[in-house]
Amino acid sequence: MHTAKGVLTAQHGRRIYILAILTLFLFVLLFLDIFLGSVTIAPSEVINAFFGNCDSNIATIVLKFRLPKAITAILVGMALSMSGLQMQTFFRNPMAGPYVLGVSSGASLGVAIVIMGFYSGIAPADLMTLGNWVLTLAAWLGAGAVMILIMAISVRIKDVMTILIIGIMLASGLSAVVSILQYFSNETMLKAYVVWTMGSLGNLSSGQLKVLAITVITGIILSIFLIKVLNALQMGENYASSVGVNIRLARVIVFACSCILAGSVTAFCGPIGFIGIAIPHIVRNLFRTSDHKILVPGSIITGGVVMLLCDIISQLPGSDRVLPVNSVTALVGIPVVVWIVIRNKKISGISDE
Amino acid sequence: MKNSAGLNWFVIIILLLNSCGRSQHASSGMPSSSVIEKAERLSINITDSCTVITLYNPWQGASSVEIKYYLVKRGNKSVSLNDTSKIIYVPVRKIVCMSTTHLAMIVALGEEKSVTGFSGTGFIYNKNLLQMSEAGLIEDVGYENSLNTELILKIKPDLVMMYGVGSESAGYTGKIEELGIKTMMNADYLEIDPLGKAEWIKLFGALYCREELADSIFRSIMGSYNEIRDRILQENLTRPKVLAGLPFRDTWYVSPGNSHISTLIRDAGGEYLWEKTISSVSMPLGLESVYLRSMEADYWINIGAVNSKNEIPAIDSRLSTIPAFKSGRLFNNNKRVTPGGGNDYWESGTLSPHLLLRDLASIFHPESFADHELIYYKPIE
Repeated sequence: MHTAKGVLTAQHGRRIYILAILTLFLFVLLFLDIFLGSVTIAPSEVINAFFGNCDSNIATIVLKFRLPKAITAILVGMALSMSGLQMQTFFRNPMAGPYVLGVSSGASLGVAIVIMGFYSGIAPADLMTLGNWVLTLAAWLGAGAVMILIMAISVRIKDVMTILIIGIMLASGLSAVVSILQYFSNETMLKAYVVWTMGSLGNLSSGQLKVLAITVITGIILSIFLIKVLNALQMGENYASSVGVNIRLARVIVFACSCILAGSVTAFCGPIGFIGIAIPHIVRNLFRTSDHKILVPGSIITGGVVMLLCDIISQLPGSDRVLPVNSVTALVGIPVVVWIVIRNKKISGISDE
Repeated sequence: MKNSAGLNWFVIIILLLNSCGRSQHASSGMPSSSVIEKAERLSINITDSCTVITLYNPWQGASSVEIKYYLVKRGNKSVSLNDTSKIIYVPVRKIVCMSTTHLAMIVALGEEKSVTGFSGTGFIYNKNLLQMSEAGLIEDVGYENSLNTELILKIKPDLVMMYGVGSESAGYTGKIEELGIKTMMNADYLEIDPLGKAEWIKLFGALYCREELADSIFRSIMGSYNEIRDRILQENLTRPKVLAGLPFRDTWYVSPGNSHISTLIRDAGGEYLWEKTISSVSMPLGLESVYLRSMEADYWINIGAVNSKNEIPAIDSRLSTIPAFKSGRLFNNNKRVTPGGGNDYWESGTLSPHLLLRDLASIFHPESFADHELIYYKPIE
């Protein structure tokens, strides 16, 4: 008994230690993301920009380009990994994530309709002028429609596996509709849509950033309150009801929270892949636990760290060219997941071994 | 089977080279009327029996690709071949076009009646062609990857004028060719020199047996163009710096220095911000790096589909701090547009590099071109 307690405390200490290191990483990468970019600016000038005593162009680049982009990266990373964790716990399936359930596809369809269907009669360049609000709204509506549909199904059907399968079918169906739209659209529209699917962190107006920050922070606070529910859901629905969790309500809240997080990111930044599904696995492996008291803060911080790293890489420091951030998240993330899978011979289970 | 087909081709090509080569000999000494001066991807070789059109690397990213077409006068029986897919009988009477630039050249030759199909009739600017389209004389044949092959078959054109977008295009041209319809690639959009772009009218000249008209049109365009360019060079005007384009989200696809727009700006006496950059495609640059460069710009042109100044901050509020925006030196190439979105800059503009040049010259040097009224460009206020 004594030793068991000792092991527990040691593990607990180790987890706190990892969490602290990750938080440190988050700050280091935040600074790096602000210091590095497609324009080379001396570190001293970057610091001066914050205190208002440097060239106004440099100040604009640091304060209006890099700072909002870095904040967006953190919010996006946090939101997607949190959303992924919730969906994986909710469906008790390591493959669950906003992509699998069709939430991202719903958002994509909304955008595809705007870019390739609705505006087919207008000069494609007008899309740029109409601004991102139209696209954002379309993505919200698409994600929301899928979310409501899945929730309606989940009220009628209790089996989570069935919902997951329906989600996968829905995602495939929506992608098929997008493909049809792509098939019938011309080159310019196609390019506009493809550019959107590549994802982007640096295009949010201060108003949009506020909306994103509010929704993501609300979702994350809600997630913290949901830690107990998530732990209970993880043990199975029977267990959850036996400890007094209202299953139906819990489902709706967890699911809504997860969709708000993923939906707002997709709306503002485009579909950003890999983060939602991979981060929770990385976190489970890092902390060797399935306790959401650790997984929730762990996913939030790790999500921010990885997204910042991806943003730094996508800016190709030292060159004025940039890469689509979505490709970077895939290229940075896939080797990590493959490494974890090979090391563990399987994707880490949802429950403790 | 494959081998024998290849051999067949070989024989055909040898035959063709022979027949045309011999005739070339016969006509040697006579100056060929279709010498290509500016276009880099086109050559026209006129012989007695046929006109050989050679396209060099007719799509983006192609290297050492050469496509030959043999234009044979209708009724000319001297050229007979087993495989006739690269033989086009001229003058062409019915044509289906894929690009507005093709239309402009056909219109300039007075052959618009031959246009029976077009890809995206909604984007046509020319009034006559629009009327023809409304009257059902020009069918909309769909877009490249969703081309309405049945409709094209029904139209039964003498030629479908394509523009090649890499290997993807091979798929749909193959199908149409298989159905016995002649297709031809057109690479005018890849020409860097504005005059080179316009010179593709000579291809249409050959197709309609209007070589002399095409040559004279081109000569007069080149004359006006060179006159403006030389005048600017002589006056030794200061070159204002020019920004062009719009970002998409946080990426700005910047045209390199070896591009059509960069050449126009240089010849109009401006200095394009990326004048010295060489790239075969437009470069995806980070918005912050373009933003920093834009601080030097005196003018900002080709601003997407922007019609008024207040649309720019709606795209990205940071763009409104660009000095050219603040000073209001904004000019866009969408003065001539139809409600449907057809922009004449992309139609007759291709064949009017001299007018584009005069527009830009009068924008950059209002004092020297005071009497000029803008044609394709308009100030954005």
